[in-house]
Amino acid sequence: MFVLGSPAAAGLLLFIGVLAPNVLAQVPPPPPPPVQSGAPAGAKPAAEMPQVPQASAPPADPAARRGEYVASAAGCLGCHTEAKDKAAAYAGGRALKTPFGTFYGPNITPHPVAGIGKWSEADFARAIREGLRPDGAHYFPAFPYPSFARITDADLKDLWTYLRTLPPSARPNQAHDLGFPFNWRFLVRFWKWLYFTPGRFTPDPKRSAAVNRGNYLVNVLGHCGECHTPRNFLGGPKRARHLAGTPKGADDGGTSNLTPSNLKKWDDAELAGFLQSGMTSEGDVTGERMGEVVRNTTSRLTAQDLSSMIAYLRALPAIADEP
Amino acid sequence: MNRFMTVAVAGAALALGVATEAMAQAKPDVLVKQRQAAMTLIGKYWGPVAGMASGKVPYNADIVARNATYLENLSQMPWDGFHESTKGEKSRTLPEAYSQKAKFDEIAERMQAEIAKLGVVARAKNEAGVKQQFGAVGKTCGACHDGFRAK
Ligand code: HEC
Ligand code: HEC
Ligand code: HEC
Repeated sequence: MFVLGSPAAAGLLLFIGVLAPNVLAQVPPPPPPPVQSGAPAGAKPAAEMPQVPQASAPPADPAARRGEYVASAAGCLGCHTEAKDKAAAYAGGRALKTPFGTFYGPNITPHPVAGIGKWSEADFARAIREGLRPDGAHYFPAFPYPSFARITDADLKDLWTYLRTLPPSARPNQAHDLGFPFNWRFLVRFWKWLYFTPGRFTPDPKRSAAVNRGNYLVNVLGHCGECHTPRNFLGGPKRARHLAGTPKGADDGGTSNLTPSNLKKWDDAELAGFLQSGMTSEGDVTGERMGEVVRNTTSRLTAQDLSSMIAYLRALPAIADEP
Repeated sequence: MNRFMTVAVAGAALALGVATEAMAQAKPDVLVKQRQAAMTLIGKYWGPVAGMASGKVPYNADIVARNATYLENLSQMPWDGFHESTKGEKSRTLPEAYSQKAKFDEIAERMQAEIAKLGVVARAKNEAGVKQQFGAVGKTCGACHDGFRAK
């Protein structure tokens, strides 16, 4: 294979192998939730508990409003907002800890210097669809563009419109604090050769509209697999165990199996209740990693999208837990 | 007090002492069952409070006050069950609960403190205060479950 042609390249690949599974298994990691003192571990429908440090009223422009919804469905806020009270939304600074260093979600407000104010829509599309910086460098997959890449054109456009309406913040970016050689951005190229497939989401005509919509919400926007799909030693997703959960890791208790072999324990109302509140009907509160997903994403979905998400999860092939 | 009484009292005290020791050293599998039972009850009384505080269920200040008081008591109960001796027992508790005991205890204490604050506002029938405080409690549950409980 091309990469393995040279021992040096193979070495690099191996480094990436060490890098990627950890980055991916750990992102986003379990640090405290982004903002808002009162935010529960998911126990409150987020409609009443604005996790977005509400800079302003909802945008007036319908495209921006749709984009705001896309941003919630994709959980952009958490990784791009500092974990402290009254942090400026999307102004960056969230520490994403991994074993070999810490990534800092950058400022993505339209500030011309500190943020992405000088970007064109095409720059933004390239970042999301191809994981490329305007200057052509590769983004680390700590930014889950491998999931986002298949976003629809309409959603991408709305998302861009929304990000342009954010109040610009001058908060400067922090450099990622990565140990050698993980700080070698160009190594990401090798990882992408192996595991990154650009393309568009295509609905499966054999499936219902609800299941297709759910597939898009789970796999593209919601990037649920970034945490719920185990990775092989090179950091690529184990496709045979898609969404089947991960065993306990170094710093966490693992993630749950989202296929019917586990979720059949709940009926649709119970599953919807969990995704809205972060709590089971027995009052068991989910961990903070999933709690943040509930607050920022699943509790903000429309009732119809929530039921599509559930329809998709129900239609997954049942995969038993790893022994 | 005569000699006999003294001896008898000393004997009884000793027996009691042994008995207390024995209780503190309940068998590991029993300790696990007890701590799980405490958590289950915490879940039972927490659920309605969270549901009401988040507006999913109609608010009933009496139930909230009652449950918050139960929770104050229950929140003290699970912890002695996480004894070293239970390390080898099958449960959802991760080994970190023993190896990072200081961190575990810190969250357990924070949870008790936040629940105590909840009790105060709940008994004062301060609905806004409850709605404010329940999130702080929920976060302590989530923080501990994340790091110390298998999924
Ligand atoms: C799991 C955490 C995470 C999520 C979720 C996430 N990002 Fe990011 N994002 C990052 C990290 C980390 C980087 C920096 C990557 C790097 O430097 O290689 C980044 C980089 C970016 C950049 C490039 C910024 C620059 O200055 O070069 C943009 C734009 C961006 N993200 C937008 C988004 C949008 C829009 C969403 C939601 C659709 C989103 N991100 C969701 C973690 C995340
Ligand atoms: C300091 C750590 C800690 C805190 C705080 C905590 N839990 Fe737990 N909880 C655990 C652990 C560990 C388990 C797994 C117990 C076992 O299996 O040994 C657990 C289990 C549970 C269970 C499942 C019980 C069973 O066995 O089925 C429920 C329900 C629960 N917790 C509810 C809560 C609620 C609600 C809160 C907050 C009000 C909370 N917990 C706070 C550590 C904690
Ligand atoms: C940041 C990592 C992360 C992401 C992203 C994530 N989850 Fe989770 N999820 C977790 C963890 C960790 C747990 C286990 C929590 C616990 O046991 O306390 C979990 C638990 C769950 C559960 C509970 C299952 C059970 O048996 O208790 C469901 C359902 C779930 N996630 C659905 C989703 C969906 C749907 C998405 C995408 C919208 C998603 N998750 C995205 C980390 C994540």
